[in-house]
Amino acid sequence: MNFNGTLTQVIHELVEQVMPSLVIVRGRRYGAGAGIVWAENGLILTNNHVIGRQAPIVVLQNDGEYEARLLARDPDVDLALLSIEAARLTPLKPASREASLRIGELVFAFGHPWGQRNTVTRGIVSALGFAQNRRGDTLPIVRSDVPLAPGNSGGPLVNAYGQVVGINAMIVGGDQSVSIAVSVVNDFVDKVLAKQAAQDRASQHTPADVL
Amino acid sequence: MSKTILVELSDALADAAESVGKATVLVSARRRMPASGISYTADLILTADHVIEREEDITVTLADGTQVSAKVAGRDAGSDLAVLKLERAAAQAAEVTKSPARLGQIALVLGRPSTNGIEASLGTVSAIGGPIRTGHGGMLEKYIRTDGISYPGFSGGPLVAADGTVLGVNTSGLANGAALTIPADIAWRIAETLAKQGRVKHGYLGIRSQAVEIPNFTQKALQRAQASGLLVVSVEKDSPASRGGLMVGDILVSVAGLPILHHDELFARLSGDVVGKSESLEILRGGQPQTLDVLIGER
Repeated sequence: MNFNGTLTQVIHELVEQVMPSLVIVRGRRYGAGAGIVWAENGLILTNNHVIGRQAPIVVLQNDGEYEARLLARDPDVDLALLSIEAARLTPLKPASREASLRIGELVFAFGHPWGQRNTVTRGIVSALGFAQNRRGDTLPIVRSDVPLAPGNSGGPLVNAYGQVVGINAMIVGGDQSVSIAVSVVNDFVDKVLAKQAAQDRASQHTPADVL
Repeated sequence: MSKTILVELSDALADAAESVGKATVLVSARRRMPASGISYTADLILTADHVIEREEDITVTLADGTQVSAKVAGRDAGSDLAVLKLERAAAQAAEVTKSPARLGQIALVLGRPSTNGIEASLGTVSAIGGPIRTGHGGMLEKYIRTDGISYPGFSGGPLVAADGTVLGVNTSGLANGAALTIPADIAWRIAETLAKQGRVKHGYLGIRSQAVEIPNFTQKALQRAQASGLLVVSVEKDSPASRGGLMVGDILVSVAGLPILHHDELFARLSGDVVGKSESLEILRGGQPQTLDVLIGER
């Protein structure tokens, strides 16, 4: 076995690597949830159920508070993408589509359970399954034995490399913790960004182009 | 990407879950939720007794998804273990640990509660205890407790060490619904008995007894420190004890060389493979140790 430092040190390094990307997402009426810096130009990913009707407040690790613009939300996958006016943020890398999760592998959840800021909980992947949303679609989910509580919603579930393998959500309940699989997240973000790019191209058209 | 010790540990856990998962099966023998089982040979499945609610129409789903019908080969409510015999040899046998569970050891709680595959949770061995009386007139010499989560349908599944060997059989049927693990050496021994004779025989002596203190000078005569023994207060007529020469007033201090301090220990000694065998019982009579050979009967 390759002892690159002790286990405790390595876990500490993983936490240091992930924590800068963890944010608080505060709705106007509800409690707060968690979110992830998805791109360095201010894209923030969170759960749809964390945000209320109005645009939420995002709090970064440096305590900077930003009024967020809601780019897209989808209750069917319980995801939302926000944008804040900030640059040079530290985004979190999602695990590649090819990397498949295995039952038994170590995972860590980051969030603010019961308002306790910047909390890390540990567990393993218990099961890979599906949940049904309101429309009856099946949604790939990751079940784990990681303790989650309100305030973890929208935060990342990362593997031993510190890559995002899921977004923590307590949409199903029961005794297993549920995270939305990263494949769903990638699809959601890709779709939103493609639509955004199309709109940007459209708005760049000058009246002369239209003629 | 460099593999840190954390990644190595994560891989080892996933490897352990995968390899023992191949020997972890789904047992459908009750109306509600199916449960888990461990294939301990190619055609014998070890599972929890309490999940077998019918003896007909039992199916076992193997790791590769094939369904095989099975019959009960033996069951024992006292230890909450049952052995099923598959219609055809098809399962991959689990590898049993060579070193017993240790306090603080990392362990996976594994099960196959549905056809969607194995499920697992992580825990550490938090207590090793015993003997305890189980709900159905049984006695478990030793048990393991972990802080891993036992999900619904996990009874009959394995507790797995990080090296991919089986530490024991998990069940919620022995301690009022709380999860508990029967150590592999005990479970496998009982399984062998069940496969051979269909049930576990419980030994019978035919005495009533009470635990009493052994005074220091008597311990000297015994040539060991043993604080208590069982005072025989009655011997049943024509019982193994009376035929062996046991008398009221004797203090039973050991069976087959193992000290007996409490009732529980006698109970534990009398379950298992002692039935029909002649065992040496050490007693104190008039303060002096004596040995009697007693042919253990069946309760």
